Amino acid sequence: MPNPRSLTLSLILALSAALPALAQEAAPHATALQTDAVPAVMEKAVDGFIRPGYRQFVDKAKALHAGMDSLCATPSDATLKAARQGFGDAVRAWARIEIIRVGPVIEENRFEHILFYPDRKGLALKQIQGAIASNDKSFADPQSLHEKSVAIQGLGALEYVLYGTGAETLAQKDGDFRCRYGAAIAGNVENMAGELSSLWEAPGGVQAAWKQPGPDNDVFRTPSEAVTGLLGVLVHGTETVRDERIETFFKGADGRIAPKQAIFWRSGLTFVSMQENLTGLKNLLNGTNAASLLPPAKRGVIDAINARADKLIETTKTITPDVEAAVSKPDERQKLVSLLDNSRSMITDLSDGLGGGVGLSAGFSFADGD
Amino acid sequence: MRGAQIDRRDFLKAAGAIYLASLTPAAAETLVRADAVYASGFRAPDGSFGAALLAEDGRIVSRVALPGRAHGLASSAKKVAAFARRPGKFIFIFDRQNLIAPVVVNAPAGRHFYGHGHFSPDGRLLYASENDFDNNRGMIGLYDATDGFRRIGEFPAHGIGTHDMSVSDDGKLLIIANGGIETNPDFGRTKLNLDHMEPSLVLADAATGDLVEKHELPEALRQVSTRHIDLDADGRIWFACQYEGPRRDLPPLIGHFGKGEALTWIDLPPEVTRSLGNYVGAIAVNRRDGLVGVTSPAGGVSVVLDAASGKVKATGILNEAAGIASARHGFATSSYDGRFLDSQETVNWDQHIIRLS
Repeated sequence: MPNPRSLTLSLILALSAALPALAQEAAPHATALQTDAVPAVMEKAVDGFIRPGYRQFVDKAKALHAGMDSLCATPSDATLKAARQGFGDAVRAWARIEIIRVGPVIEENRFEHILFYPDRKGLALKQIQGAIASNDKSFADPQSLHEKSVAIQGLGALEYVLYGTGAETLAQKDGDFRCRYGAAIAGNVENMAGELSSLWEAPGGVQAAWKQPGPDNDVFRTPSEAVTGLLGVLVHGTETVRDERIETFFKGADGRIAPKQAIFWRSGLTFVSMQENLTGLKNLLNGTNAASLLPPAKRGVIDAINARADKLIETTKTITPDVEAAVSKPDERQKLVSLLDNSRSMITDLSDGLGGGVGLSAGFSFADGD
Repeated sequence: MRGAQIDRRDFLKAAGAIYLASLTPAAAETLVRADAVYASGFRAPDGSFGAALLAEDGRIVSRVALPGRAHGLASSAKKVAAFARRPGKFIFIFDRQNLIAPVVVNAPAGRHFYGHGHFSPDGRLLYASENDFDNNRGMIGLYDATDGFRRIGEFPAHGIGTHDMSVSDDGKLLIIANGGIETNPDFGRTKLNLDHMEPSLVLADAATGDLVEKHELPEALRQVSTRHIDLDADGRIWFACQYEGPRRDLPPLIGHFGKGEALTWIDLPPEVTRSLGNYVGAIAVNRRDGLVGVTSPAGGVSVVLDAASGKVKATGILNEAAGIASARHGFATSSYDGRFLDSQETVNWDQHIIRLS
């Protein structure tokens, strides 16, 4: 006797009658989603976070480039200090917006042109040192530099120029080529920032695709797809802080410790960049009023996520900027452990709390090739 | 006519807790596992992961705790293997009868698992799709099922972003779906080459790993990621794809080929293609009924095709669609929110179901 509860052939054939029902768009993925709130949320994501974020990055990259040019023209302790300040500002602005890992930034390897990280095998270092020692003009021009390895033309390479072995020569005439190479990196980063901002500013381009989900949209065809995309930014952004920025050098109390694998360890900006990542995530969550996507009874999860983000941000502010000390001193190590724990919880709150609250199943896959 | 399994189940029901209590836990587990027909990975409400064995009606008969998320599974007459994905750090192999302790295979240095694999027909070898991420090339790892799943070698997958794989019924060919998308554990989920993807379907010699055939997709379909496969009764390979290009495009997502043939794409009615949301998550063939079934979590649908004609035989709404596997007739489907056939569980099913071989 066939099992009455299995999906039998006859039932399947009976379902054929459902075919016309599919003439519409794909079925909504998130059934508890407050669909009416979606357009405003997506508009705020684009106009209140992404576009201003890239504009800010353009400004800081421009200032960085100018600072490097000044350093090269008038090498001194003061211009070196100013260039380093400009570098820190650009890193902050980038860290705020780099949580967006969708759209134009992942096309044409733009992300890697701006930041090549992590570099577990230390492939970049030798190339950067080679570039500094080369006196080859093609390293000192943003356009020709852009055509070379992505490992030597982004913020990581510029950090070595400004803080790595021999950086003190930048304050003297001896550092001329090193400086011009650094200025070319800054120019490349400025160009990349400009491209990203232009692409997001163009009317009818990616910003419209984000703001107006619909059948003719190249990115999001339904409100629920748009929300899944936005949630993906939040979840993946937090995952990146944990997996890519902390675990790269600190895999927990008993795990691998490699302080020189930490991002921006030479400049002491490791935790500053993390802090800006987290602030960016928090701003995106709150600035879009993501709470409005949830049924009112479920909005409490936003407070929980914010509390978690605040704790994380606070820790990045109080931990020593010296990564070597952070991994070796017990008190500081405890802060790293708390960063791992809280980021793990924040991911769950976002994925299960916010995602689950709008009706996406816990642990939903974001359709990432599964 | 009632089969032996039904009798055993009825006996268990009749004997109830008293009978079960008289057994050792291992023996009781062995008995309940005899009812298992399907297997799938899941996430439990407390966030832990596991694999479940399920009966023909979708009822969970046994749960196995896993060290992390399992995506695809494979089975032999004696074993079930669950493959980790994102992060793909382990294969968990457990005995179908619960007679032998499970084995955990850790990903070797420089490799991670992509979440799929397959046993050789004789069950002596386990193949796993793997990423050689430093060199950005897909690999097929070989594990000796007769020797504690010791890694005994690897073959190139002849492509990048390898995902699903299978083995021909005679065991001579490896069938490999290279999704063409570069990822690297250092960069999390980020897809590193969406503007220059290299999807391909590959047949390789199972004994040597040598390339037998490679089907690259034409330029116009470069962003169609070839991800999942199943074989029909004639050995024809059915494949299902996910499209990474603009959402308004409606590229073909399902096709088939046999050895020595070009790829044939199924020309679905536009409304069916649209309903799939450019994303097929799983594909299965019911050989007995001559049917091909697919599910789409993006579209929240299942679609059934006639294998001979490629025509749509049925479509159905399946919100949060996860896996699909051949049922006694037709297909069993699952969902991220805990449905398996019409059984509702408090777990989130992962993307794939297998019917135990």
